[in-house]
Amino acid sequence: MTRTLLVTGAGGVGKTTVAAGMAVHAARAGLRTLVVTVDPARRLATALGLNDLGNEPQPHAHEPNLWAAMLDATATWRAVAERHAEPAVAARLADDEFFQAAAEHFPASQSYAAADQAVTFVQAKAWDLVVVDTPPSGGGIDFFTAPAQMADLVGGRLLWWMTGGPLPGRFLFNMAGRPVLRIADSILGSDLLERVAEFLLDLRTTYHGVARRGREIEKVLRAASILVVTTADPAPVLEAIKFYRELPGVASSPTSVLFNRVLPESWSDARPPRSTSLELSNNLERWAAEAQRQRDTREEFSSRYGAHVATIPWSPVPPTNLDGLASLLAEGRNIPWSQIGILSSSGDMATQ
Amino acid sequence: MELGAPGGLSAHFGTGPFEFEPREVRPGLHAMRMIRSDALLEYLSLQLNVRGINRFGPMARAFDALATTAPGIREIITIGKAIWEVKEDRWDVVIADAPPTGQIGSFLRAPLTVEELVPTGRVRAQAELMRETLESEAETKLVLVTLPEELPATETRETLDWLDKEQVVAPPIVLANRVLDELNDAKTPEGPVGEAAELHRSLWAEQQIWLDAVPPHGRLPHLFGLFTPGEVAAHLCDELEALT
Repeated sequence: MTRTLLVTGAGGVGKTTVAAGMAVHAARAGLRTLVVTVDPARRLATALGLNDLGNEPQPHAHEPNLWAAMLDATATWRAVAERHAEPAVAARLADDEFFQAAAEHFPASQSYAAADQAVTFVQAKAWDLVVVDTPPSGGGIDFFTAPAQMADLVGGRLLWWMTGGPLPGRFLFNMAGRPVLRIADSILGSDLLERVAEFLLDLRTTYHGVARRGREIEKVLRAASILVVTTADPAPVLEAIKFYRELPGVASSPTSVLFNRVLPESWSDARPPRSTSLELSNNLERWAAEAQRQRDTREEFSSRYGAHVATIPWSPVPPTNLDGLASLLAEGRNIPWSQIGILSSSGDMATQ
Repeated sequence: MELGAPGGLSAHFGTGPFEFEPREVRPGLHAMRMIRSDALLEYLSLQLNVRGINRFGPMARAFDALATTAPGIREIITIGKAIWEVKEDRWDVVIADAPPTGQIGSFLRAPLTVEELVPTGRVRAQAELMRETLESEAETKLVLVTLPEELPATETRETLDWLDKEQVVAPPIVLANRVLDELNDAKTPEGPVGEAAELHRSLWAEQQIWLDAVPPHGRLPHLFGLFTPGEVAAHLCDELEALT
């Protein structure tokens, strides 16, 4: 069985670092592990042995059980088109410049491509664990709702209503009979409108495939463990709260919230020794205030949302190699190791 | 004007979520949230004299689908609303909390994208007006806010290079946020006071790399131990005054 760990959260909180660190631990515990990321920082990409964007998982040169892949939304979009549309339509959807621009544009497409590709890796049954660093687009929740949004767009009453008739086909638009098209025509001009219409009609032929695939994706996402990464700063915390409120409706409840950049609690009530300079004791005082604020934020999160709270300490310089990634996670507390099938950071395999 | 995810900006004022209709949140300061369907309906009624569309009906939804599919249209509805507020002359200054740095390029280029796609017609004329407003240094200023860390600094660098090439807006002002001051005392006593000093020094050193890589026009300090966005906003306001 392949376990799936989805690592999600606001941009800039160290989500990719956490995903990579979890993957390194799993690999070292003997699990064949694939980590899938979107747009890692250069230093992290180098640590993972990733040099090029590509959907093809690459085995790590020095870590036997670790593979890494960087999602390429354009390539995935092409694969989606080829899988669900007949060849002529697929070629148009993938090769036409306007269609490419449109595909990149509509809101769910990038997230849909990411979810579809991640699930393809899970279904390949080649790994014990797939760790997915989800893209932050649209507040991150898009990754989970995209399959349904996509099916809704290509098969919903909306396109039916606009294009008329149950039969998909090109140039079915009846301007005179559809007031929305007359108005759209006056705004967009008929050339652009026709191109948009062609695109939507082509997309519509993929409905059955996309809808079926959407249900498969949803099944995998519902069975996955979800780790929400945040810092104690207000904006990422708002985002983390959103996951706790909205995810249960569209996937499963988050397994844990992981606070990154955590300061030692012992700082909050520490007294500097008498000989300390004013500058250094003021410095401790302000960092202690920060530590206190962080602790209050975690406690509030835990009591209000019943969340399992994990923490990792504030590492001033992001890890640049696998050992650095591993030790960052090893210093963490309450990391949900059992969710990825290992007992603890010491690297023992779980028995069940 | 809140253009991104709702709640981020309104949290600073403690007045609850903003609406599409501007509302006074402080004396002389009005705030609104961009709601694309509202902006589209407003556009249809003001610019095209199309009224009476039910905002939840199929017509509005169909429009939204067309607008989100045609490249650039979604963005110019948003930019259009912002520029409409500018041209109306109701305000002395309009501040938009724009999309993140990584997306700002394609956002600001949207009018040009539409001009390239639409050869004639009303939307093209309006796209032209928007492009000119964005290009005019007298009318539009772009501020890129960054952090002295690897990812945000790299993204800012790439965006600056892209803007330099595409010229869709005058050269932006870069502000680095959460900048730490340097500690002069080099001692590291036992216990928390030394640990805090060590962490501070390491973070400071890491920040210098990115402040050198992307030199900002202005720096805002790291604010310690503040709880609510309102407190953060009040402190930053003082710091910004000191900058100007």
